[in-house]
Amino acid sequence: MTFRDRLLATIRAARSVLEDPGVLVVGSQVPNLLEPGAAATLVVSQDLDIGVPVDCHAAVKRRLPELLLHFTPSADEPSVWTPHSSNLLEVNFVGMDRSQDPTDAYALEDDELPLLVFGALSLVEPGAEIDIRGTRLRLPRPAGLLLEKLVTDRTGEKGERDLLVALGLIVMAGPADFDELNVSYQGLRPELQHTVRSSLTLLSLIEARAGMPDPRPQRTRVAALLRRLESGGAERV
Amino acid sequence: MTPSVDRRLREQRARVLIRSLDYRQRHHARGVWFRLRRVLADASAAYVIAEDDARQLAAEGCRTESVGGALEPQKLIVIAPSGRIAMIASARQVPVRLSGELLAAKCLALAPFETAP
Repeated sequence: MTFRDRLLATIRAARSVLEDPGVLVVGSQVPNLLEPGAAATLVVSQDLDIGVPVDCHAAVKRRLPELLLHFTPSADEPSVWTPHSSNLLEVNFVGMDRSQDPTDAYALEDDELPLLVFGALSLVEPGAEIDIRGTRLRLPRPAGLLLEKLVTDRTGEKGERDLLVALGLIVMAGPADFDELNVSYQGLRPELQHTVRSSLTLLSLIEARAGMPDPRPQRTRVAALLRRLESGGAERV
Repeated sequence: MTPSVDRRLREQRARVLIRSLDYRQRHHARGVWFRLRRVLADASAAYVIAEDDARQLAAEGCRTESVGGALEPQKLIVIAPSGRIAMIASARQVPVRLSGELLAAKCLALAPFETAP
């Protein structure tokens, strides 16, 4: 079974939640789903991150019983739902709060669906709705998700994997996405702008890893993006 | 709150504090790694070169990067066109990343990306 098959089967199994109008797929599978035909060649991690706006939390909880047919909440990490079959990926719920500061984080306590709410996800905006084999799901706008990936501190191996998600978004983004990214970046306070640029320098120097996208051919684009952000948007990516 | 959620929240808050520290100290010694990475991010290729060759490039007007002087031991980092670096017999290409090989070099020549993409 290919990774793409597992991803699409997971989307099918999580359909009840994914079709909630407020829910977004966030995280590493977004570049995979943005590829033509959801080709899913940019394998970085083996889970599906589901963003739940805190004001949709109650509605999403009502959709959980169907999810229990295929997944069980982890005892250690209740926002992670582990699959009953190895043909499916883990599902990881994360909270989103538009009013939150990007550097803040809090726990939304709940017996059924507790959520960690990371402020960087407040930069993410709802984007296109796509159809994946009959499941309608919403993706974030690439610019906001890319900014979220870059504004979050990335260290260690997980940090590198997260930066490779940013790389996937850079590869898939078009000129309008970079325009949007630049506008959002210019609105960040200086400390966060510095973090974004720091993340891009880390991304530029990542080694190739087996089974993951090779960042080296994209170093030119990363350099151009850095220059564009530093120039206030005058240069094109 | 489960212990794992509590741990993740504490880790996140610690990262924010460290980031603030990094930002405040970006012009001081702690900021040297960012400045070095920023210089390397603009390089399409990196070469270890002999000191005489590095000084010759600088004498020819090639830009030197001040971050090299902030490292200990100090490095002479020169930005030069790839065609010019190709004429240097001592030049040995190394991967553009923070490897031991690159960090151990006393003199580096960096070739910039040729054109803005």
